[in-house]
Amino acid sequence: MADLVDSMLDLMRRLPPTRTEENVSALVGLCPDYADDLLGSVDQPLQVKTDRLTGREYLACDYNRDGESYRSPWSNEYDPPLEDGTVPVPKLRKLEISANEAFDTYREMYFEGGVSSVYLWDLEDGGFAGVVLLKKTMTPSTPQEPSGSWDSIHVFETAERGRQAHYKLTSTIMLQLITKKGSEGDNSDSEKKNNNGEKKVPENWKRDGEVTLSGSMTRQTEQDWPIQDSSSHITNTGRMIEEMEIKMRNLLQEVYFGKTRDIIYDLRSVDDLEKTRRQRELQKELVGFIKR
Amino acid sequence: MDADARIEAACSFILQSPPGEINDVLNDVRNIISDDETLEEGVLPALKEYNLTQFITVDIPGTEHQSIISEAARLPASEDGEERWIDPRSKQSFVFNHLTLEATDPQPFEPDGDAEEFRSSLEKASLNYLLAHFHDGVTSIFVKPGVTNHFIVQIVANKYNPSNYWSGRWRSEYVVDLNEHTVQGKILVNIHYYEQGNVQLSTTHDISIKLPPPVVTASPSAAASKILALIETEEGNYQTSLNDTYHEMSEKTFKSLRRALPMTRQKLDWDKVLGYKLGAELSSSKGTFSSS
Repeated sequence: MADLVDSMLDLMRRLPPTRTEENVSALVGLCPDYADDLLGSVDQPLQVKTDRLTGREYLACDYNRDGESYRSPWSNEYDPPLEDGTVPVPKLRKLEISANEAFDTYREMYFEGGVSSVYLWDLEDGGFAGVVLLKKTMTPSTPQEPSGSWDSIHVFETAERGRQAHYKLTSTIMLQLITKKGSEGDNSDSEKKNNNGEKKVPENWKRDGEVTLSGSMTRQTEQDWPIQDSSSHITNTGRMIEEMEIKMRNLLQEVYFGKTRDIIYDLRSVDDLEKTRRQRELQKELVGFIKR
Repeated sequence: MDADARIEAACSFILQSPPGEINDVLNDVRNIISDDETLEEGVLPALKEYNLTQFITVDIPGTEHQSIISEAARLPASEDGEERWIDPRSKQSFVFNHLTLEATDPQPFEPDGDAEEFRSSLEKASLNYLLAHFHDGVTSIFVKPGVTNHFIVQIVANKYNPSNYWSGRWRSEYVVDLNEHTVQGKILVNIHYYEQGNVQLSTTHDISIKLPPPVVTASPSAAASKILALIETEEGNYQTSLNDTYHEMSEKTFKSLRRALPMTRQKLDWDKVLGYKLGAELSSSKGTFSSS
């Protein structure tokens, strides 16, 4: 019943991104038989966990989960501990360690904070796959400061073809920005903005508000890159992911945010529409007058 | 999940519907619950709550205008339990179907004699305000039942553009209290942009205004247009301030979550990234050596 999964995905595309976790868990409760389809297709905000052995933070998602336990990329241990938890074979684990180090540098360069984690696993057809996770949260120190969070989930699959490797990358970015605003009395701010000169902003205004901008978007790409040794996979996926994040960050900023702002102006006009209408009428009349 | 919990989940989804997408959400929910009989009855309260809080508009029979369905429009239930709604502008009451959004059985409605003069003055001023600033706005002015000298100004503007994957709604409400000479207002904006993603803007803005003495002592029609002029200024300022908020979000919040480019203003040199890591490790182990 692909139909049902389509409906769940359509629903998730419409409901507020700020409530993804709550809505996904409600859908899982409604259709437990399709939980895997849903959890595999809907990305959720990443959870931050702390590695008990190294004390380092790591990110938890479906890809490093075994039962109720999550594997840390730093110590390779599961928490809560598992006797026989799935871990990558030694060769792949070695690559995973290097990948975690590389993307930790990437994280520091672009996010200047936050947490990153990379998990790799073998594919049945001989290639391997991985997920690169990045998360940064801004926690305000006062209620008036903006808060926000960024979650990236980059899932890739790769297959070697001689000295080339083919990569398939699916990237999702989840973003949330919250700004709180409050002011009281006849502050200079409102005086300044009242530039139509018609009337003074009266005293005793009180304002209080919040702006929440949230979103998630997913993009895919497939590319071929040359390989020298196994570490080439890190530089190749690194370049692809960097390129993808730059592209998606621009899209979020320019297209998505720009678009939501434009739509406000489609609802309400700051300028007086009646005046514009009257001017247009007057112009028409004048043109008609001249033509006569 | 038992039947009650299933309906509760369905209701929660419905209440989260973005502007103009209630039917899409309802279709998805029908598919997911796949029990139309239970669903139809069970979600009716949620549909009603959605319509009331979202200021859903209704075509008024025998007129060219629309009116707002909200808590303020509800008449006290009659003895036979039938619920009726009023359109103060056409002085009619009607039965409203919360699923089909249709008004039926219009009947004349006798307005409150004392309050009607001021109410209709506010209505006239509000309709002029709509023409000046909203592309597709609807306004309704109600006399607040049970208290004297209280009026409720409601405004809603919707734009639904499913073929371009966006929708938006502007709602505002002002409670004018002529006893205390105050206006308590709120503005709510919801935007959904979902082309290859799901981005939502949700804003709240509460305002409290003390009416200046000249407004209080003016004639009903002069006072009403002055009150709407105050609302016009406030809403204009708010819309402009959203631009500032957008700017701040993209310049500050967005940037501090993830930079557009690293401090070096260059993309990473991935061939060196692995090397850097190695270098960092060497120098840190050197550090341990020298300190020991």
